[in-house]
Amino acid sequence: MVKKGRLKTVSNRSMRYYYLLALLPFLFLVVMYELLPLIMLIIDSFQLDKDPSVAFTLDNYIKIFSTLSYKTAILNSLKITFISTAVGIVIAFLGARAAHNSRGKFRNVFLTVLNMTSNFAGVPLAFAYMIILGNAGVIKQIANMYGIGFLQNFDLYTSTGLTIMYIYFQIPLSTLLLIPSFNGIRKEWSEANMLLGGTNAQFWGHVGIPMLLPSIFSTISVLFANALCAYATAYALLMNNFSLLPVNISASFVGDIKTKPKLGAALSVVMMLILCIVILINNYITKKTAKWESR
Amino acid sequence: MSYIRFENINKSFGSNHVLKDINLEVEKGRLVTLLGPSGCGKSTLLRCLAGLEQVSDGHIYLDGQEITDIVPRKRGIGMVFQQYSLFPNKNVRDNVAYGLKLKKMPKAQIQQKVEEMLDIVGLSDKIDQYPSSLSGGQQQRVALARAMVTAPKVLLLDEPLSAIDALLRKNLQIEIRRIQQQLGITTIFVTHDQDEAMVMSDMIHLFHDGRIEQSGTPEQIYTSPATKFAATFIGNYNLLKTEDFNRIFRADLPGNDVAVRPEIVQLGRTDEKENPRELMAEGIIVNHIPHGSLIRYQVDCQGISLNADVVFEKQMEFHEGDHVFVRVDPDLVIRL
Amino acid sequence: MAKGSKVSANIVMTIVIIWLLIPLAATIVYSLFEDWTGIIPKGFTLANYELIFSDSSFLTAMYQTVLICIVPIVITIILVLLALFVVTVYFPRLEKYMQILCMIPYTIQGVILSVSILVLYAKNGSILSDRMVMLIGAYCIIILPHIYNGIRNGMRAINMNMLLEAAEMLGDSKLKAFFKVIVPNIITGITVSSLLAVSLLFGDYVIIRNLSSTNVNNMQKFLYQAMKRSSTEASAVFVVIMLITCAITAIVLSLQSRSGAEKVSKQGE
Repeated sequence: MVKKGRLKTVSNRSMRYYYLLALLPFLFLVVMYELLPLIMLIIDSFQLDKDPSVAFTLDNYIKIFSTLSYKTAILNSLKITFISTAVGIVIAFLGARAAHNSRGKFRNVFLTVLNMTSNFAGVPLAFAYMIILGNAGVIKQIANMYGIGFLQNFDLYTSTGLTIMYIYFQIPLSTLLLIPSFNGIRKEWSEANMLLGGTNAQFWGHVGIPMLLPSIFSTISVLFANALCAYATAYALLMNNFSLLPVNISASFVGDIKTKPKLGAALSVVMMLILCIVILINNYITKKTAKWESR
Repeated sequence: MSYIRFENINKSFGSNHVLKDINLEVEKGRLVTLLGPSGCGKSTLLRCLAGLEQVSDGHIYLDGQEITDIVPRKRGIGMVFQQYSLFPNKNVRDNVAYGLKLKKMPKAQIQQKVEEMLDIVGLSDKIDQYPSSLSGGQQQRVALARAMVTAPKVLLLDEPLSAIDALLRKNLQIEIRRIQQQLGITTIFVTHDQDEAMVMSDMIHLFHDGRIEQSGTPEQIYTSPATKFAATFIGNYNLLKTEDFNRIFRADLPGNDVAVRPEIVQLGRTDEKENPRELMAEGIIVNHIPHGSLIRYQVDCQGISLNADVVFEKQMEFHEGDHVFVRVDPDLVIRL
Repeated sequence: MAKGSKVSANIVMTIVIIWLLIPLAATIVYSLFEDWTGIIPKGFTLANYELIFSDSSFLTAMYQTVLICIVPIVITIILVLLALFVVTVYFPRLEKYMQILCMIPYTIQGVILSVSILVLYAKNGSILSDRMVMLIGAYCIIILPHIYNGIRNGMRAINMNMLLEAAEMLGDSKLKAFFKVIVPNIITGITVSSLLAVSLLFGDYVIIRNLSSTNVNNMQKFLYQAMKRSSTEASAVFVVIMLITCAITAIVLSLQSRSGAEKVSKQGE
């Protein structure tokens, strides 16, 4: 068998390298539109907008971490990302558990709604929220008629409003990602827990959630990236008036005011680093929990 | 008074009536087996006792107390499942300690009990391993330790050996029986394997289609099956219509059906009888299958097929096509 | 106990469904009525839809959306198919590098990808600085992970090398056999992943905003502009966008459940 295979590759060896040509178009695309732009961006981040003659400097990074407006952008981004991810994962856990515990038509309706809304983000989402909760929004007007205070005073055009929208688009995605992992929770575990004297809450605390941890963390990392990089939702609602990392990055390359591509490059690198940290944490947890998996 | 008592238990899943008027009593310290083919309701009865299923009708008593409507965690029951019941995120020590921790037992005492119990099941050296690194048999022994360490009133075993390969299974059967007798724990064992039931039980309840078909000691169940189903399920009884039996053996037994254990079917080359009461027929060897120390011959007697188990002896071996004389002792033939 | 968990499950699902549907439903109702200031909207009308479907710039945006969705998907599918063929058949050791290359876009995402391409090629002066070329290049990269996964999973599901050898023994060249035997076998996987790519590109706003010139619009960009003009007109655009998105999702789900059912029936045999 082995011998036969070797003979064949020898006779085909010259042919084999012709086939490398078929790789070229793919490599061209990846190099031109993925690797090169990325590398140039990283190189740019160490150069100055004002003085192109400087070959290497950390000034951009120093500026980012010492200027209030950039620090605010990073903090705003992290804050809204953390909150929307945390709320999103909790609701996803409850929703996925509910879907796991039920059967039949209602479950299908639930799954259909999740799928339908899983692509509902960005400009359309911001617009829909303006229609219901904007200054002349439908719910606002109803609240005014009946004097429902907290809704009357609600201002969509703030970080709170933005956070609510972020939470909205996190829910369908995270729930859909978590549902399959519940199939790995065996009925015997919860039954054993019951017979050993445990409550339902103790089961989830001691066994259920630990067993779901890998899926929960990979979902968290998807949610985190999803929220951190979201641009359209924030821009459609608040344009450049609310300082967020992706909005700032975009504004330093494309904009009415003077652009600062090198500084924007440094901001981009900061954002990618944040993402990498989350991915590394996720990998670490996956590795830690690997010993639980059956062979 | 019996330790466990099921009174008129009925259970339905939708229109599927899986337990029909079950009445059953278990004495303290015994190992009782619920035996039957899959889908006969034996596991459901066990799960009703554990509280994992609600009975549709009837009462369950444990240790003089009605437990029919008590939640599972307050029933004081230990259970070992078919497989995969260990918590994969906890090592052996923490799995066994789980129930004790929930009871808020002091740490030192937990440690002592866990080690004692692991010693009993013979897994002291695996205490820090995770379930995924254990074999199926070892996992089930940990599950046994976990179920017993909380000193439950009853231990329930729901086909705990069905996923384990044959050789290991035999050892575990003996070991579980040893541990059960050592600790004197009342145990209900569910299985579909009659050999397993024979090896382990004080008492067997044979289930068929949601009812108890027959109850008795292993010897009683084996030597005197009460119904056709019992005879087919236990051993490899030859089941014949009485008229066929009478025809080929030239006998005149009454009734509709008879059951003949293969061990009492004797084969010979001549028409010599060992005792004068024996019945005799003639037949042709159709097939032979070695069964360990036995050989099972399939004999055709005037169109009726009979199985005969004969102890393997080189010189006695018959071959396909041989003409043989078949003898049975009529006192050992069971009339159904 | 079991009953209690079922009730709480239904409560959770009901709340999530209501929360998710409110913005959608409200905007749909809003687009269909002249006046909605009380609880009950008044004056049913289709005028908003008549308005946008008679607006040539809306139709242009729709047409351009279709174009800039399809072109990158076709390009990416062909390039990934070719590359995966060569790598899996002739250079299996390169597989993991190809996978890394295809997964990087997950971590760059739209904003960084678009600005990095923009800054690299905008002042180039050649064809590379053409806004449309940049846009299509970026779109190809952003959908790369999805297309790659779709094709790769499809190839894993069938025994590709065995099928290829069988076809080769019948006298086809491997490349020919690949397109004749393998591709038809994984076409459902490719369709599903390209539809997912469509919905991804269909929902893009940041890349097209950063890369395209003002005369190239997709539906998202059009919605953004309509929002600034009139919320009633925008609500009709919104409904059209959501309908298309839902239609794509529905096709994906039905394809997935059909191929799932096929698998089940095959296992059953």
